[in-house]
Amino acid sequence: MWAIARTELKKTIQDKGLWFWTFVLPVVFIVAFVAIFSGDESTSYKEVVTQIIPGYTIMFAFFIMISMVIVFVKDRERGMVSRIASTPISIYQYFFGKWVPFIIIVLIQITVLFGFGVIIYDLPLGDPFALILLSLALAFIVTGWGMAMAVIVKTENMGIALTQILALGGALLGGLWMPVEFMPDIVRTLSQALPQYWALQGYKEIILSDGNVTDVWFHLLFLIFAGIAGMVLALLSYPRFLRQSRS
Amino acid sequence: MINVENVSKQYGSIQALENIDFQIEEGTCFGLVGPNGAGKSTLMKILSGILLDFEGDIQVNEWKVSKDRSKIKQQLGYIPQEICLEETLTAYDNLMLFGTLYGLKKKELHKRIDEVLEQIGLVHRAKNKVVTFSGGMKRRLNIGCALLHNPSIIIMDEPTVGIDPQSRNSIFSIIHQLKEAGSTIIYSSHYMEEVEQLCDSIGLIDKGELVEFGRMEALLDKYAKPSLFISGQDVEPEMLQNFGKVEKKGNGYLLNSDEPLLTLRDLVTYCDEHNLEPHRLELYHPRLEDIFFHLTGTQLRNA
Repeated sequence: MWAIARTELKKTIQDKGLWFWTFVLPVVFIVAFVAIFSGDESTSYKEVVTQIIPGYTIMFAFFIMISMVIVFVKDRERGMVSRIASTPISIYQYFFGKWVPFIIIVLIQITVLFGFGVIIYDLPLGDPFALILLSLALAFIVTGWGMAMAVIVKTENMGIALTQILALGGALLGGLWMPVEFMPDIVRTLSQALPQYWALQGYKEIILSDGNVTDVWFHLLFLIFAGIAGMVLALLSYPRFLRQSRS
Repeated sequence: MINVENVSKQYGSIQALENIDFQIEEGTCFGLVGPNGAGKSTLMKILSGILLDFEGDIQVNEWKVSKDRSKIKQQLGYIPQEICLEETLTAYDNLMLFGTLYGLKKKELHKRIDEVLEQIGLVHRAKNKVVTFSGGMKRRLNIGCALLHNPSIIIMDEPTVGIDPQSRNSIFSIIHQLKEAGSTIIYSSHYMEEVEQLCDSIGLIDKGELVEFGRMEALLDKYAKPSLFISGQDVEPEMLQNFGKVEKKGNGYLLNSDEPLLTLRDLVTYCDEHNLEPHRLELYHPRLEDIFFHLTGTQLRNA
C-alpha cells in the first residue's frame, strides 16, 4: 500500500502540469480577482478576500480530479491495474495507495493558497482546528469524487470534460465566483446540493464569524458523506475497471 | 501441482472459456497455445488471480483459488503481455515497487533486487529511467519484477512479443534458468517454435475450448506422423498420387503414407527412372502448428 503511495507521489511530483493547475494558476486567479473586486466600496476588504481566496482554493482543489483521471486511465490502458491485481495486495490497499498522494497534494495546495492569502492579503484564519478539519473534509471529498470519476470514465478526455463541468459548474452554482446571495432563488436552492457551497460557507463561518467546529458540523458532515459516496462508488466500479484493464 | 477444474467464463453473451480442465505437474513448463481471441488471456487472467468471477475452480498445491487466493498469489509471478512498468522511474524503483507489493522487507528486498538485476542483465542500467530503455530491456525488467519474491509458479503471457532475436534469446536463457531451479512455468504464446523449444506439456485452445492437452512428445507421437515433402519444376501432383495422399504445402507437396521411409526410397527410384530432378525431397516432421491445424482447421497465424 505505501509502496503504491510512494511510487505515485514520486511520479506525480514530476508532472509539471499538476504544479501549474494546483499552484500557479490559482495564485494568478486570486491576484487578478482580488485586484478587480477590492476597489468595490460596498464590500469590505475582509469580505472580498474571504470570498475570493477560499473560493478559488475550493474551485482549484476540484481540478485534482483531472490528475487522478489521467493516472487511473493510464494505469488501466497499460495493464498496470491487472498487474497489481495479480499481487497479494487487496483492492482497498490499492485504492488507499493511489489516494494518499492526491490528498497530500490537495492539503498542500490549500495550505499554500491560504498561506499566500495570509502573507499577501492579511487573510484572517479564524479557529485553526475548525479550519484544518474543514480543509481535510474538502480534500477528502475532491479526492473521493476524483477516485470515482477516474474509475468510471472510459477515456481521459471524458474524465477531463466531466471534471471541468463539475469544477466550473459547481463553482458557478456553489457561489465560488459570486456570493449566492446575489443569485436567483432557484440557484440558491440548487447550490445547497453542492459540496462547493458547503465548503465555502464553512470557511466563511470560520473566518468571518469566528465560528468553531460546532458551527460548521453540518458543513463537515456534508463534505465527508459526499466523499464517502465517491469512495463507495469507486469501489463498486472497480470490478468493471479491472475487466477493462489490459493485461 | 496445478489442477484446473471445469473452468468456464462468460462475457455477456460470449462464452470465453468452456469447461477447461487440465493439470500441470510441478517443476514443468506448460505451454498454452491458441490463436488471438481463443481465450488464452482470459485463462491466464484467471490463473493469475486477476479475474475472480468464473465458474469451476483451480487448485494450486493444497490451496483452492476460491478460498486461498492471497496465499496462491504469493506463490505466483505474473508476467503480463503488456509492459507494466513506471516509465518515469528507474529500473531499481520499479523493482522496489513490485518487491514491496509481494511483501519483501528492506534488507531482503535490496538483496533480491541485486540478484534479479544480475539475472536479467540490467545491473548497469539499474539507476536509469525506464523510458530510456529499449523494448528488449523493458521486457526483461517486466520479467524481473515478477521474480523478486522467488515464486514457485511463473505465468508468462506472450513475453517475447515485439522484441529482437537477441533479447528473445536472453529471455529464453532466463526461462531455462527458472526451469533448472524447479519453477513451474505457464507459458502462453502463438509462436509455436518457442513453445516447442521450451515446454514439456501443452494445451491447445480454440474458441474457448481446450481441444487437446498432454505432454509434448505424446502429442507429437499421436498426431505428428512424418510425411514426405517434395518440390520442383517437374513435380506434378498426379504422378505422386500412386505413392500416397497428396496435399499442397507452400511451393511443393506433402505426401502422406503409412511407411514414409519406404515411400521415400520408391520415390527416389521413380525420379531416377523418369529423369526428374526435384529441388527438395525430404522427410517432413509436422510441427505444433500442423497439429493445431489438423485439430481445429484453423491456422494460428491467420486466426
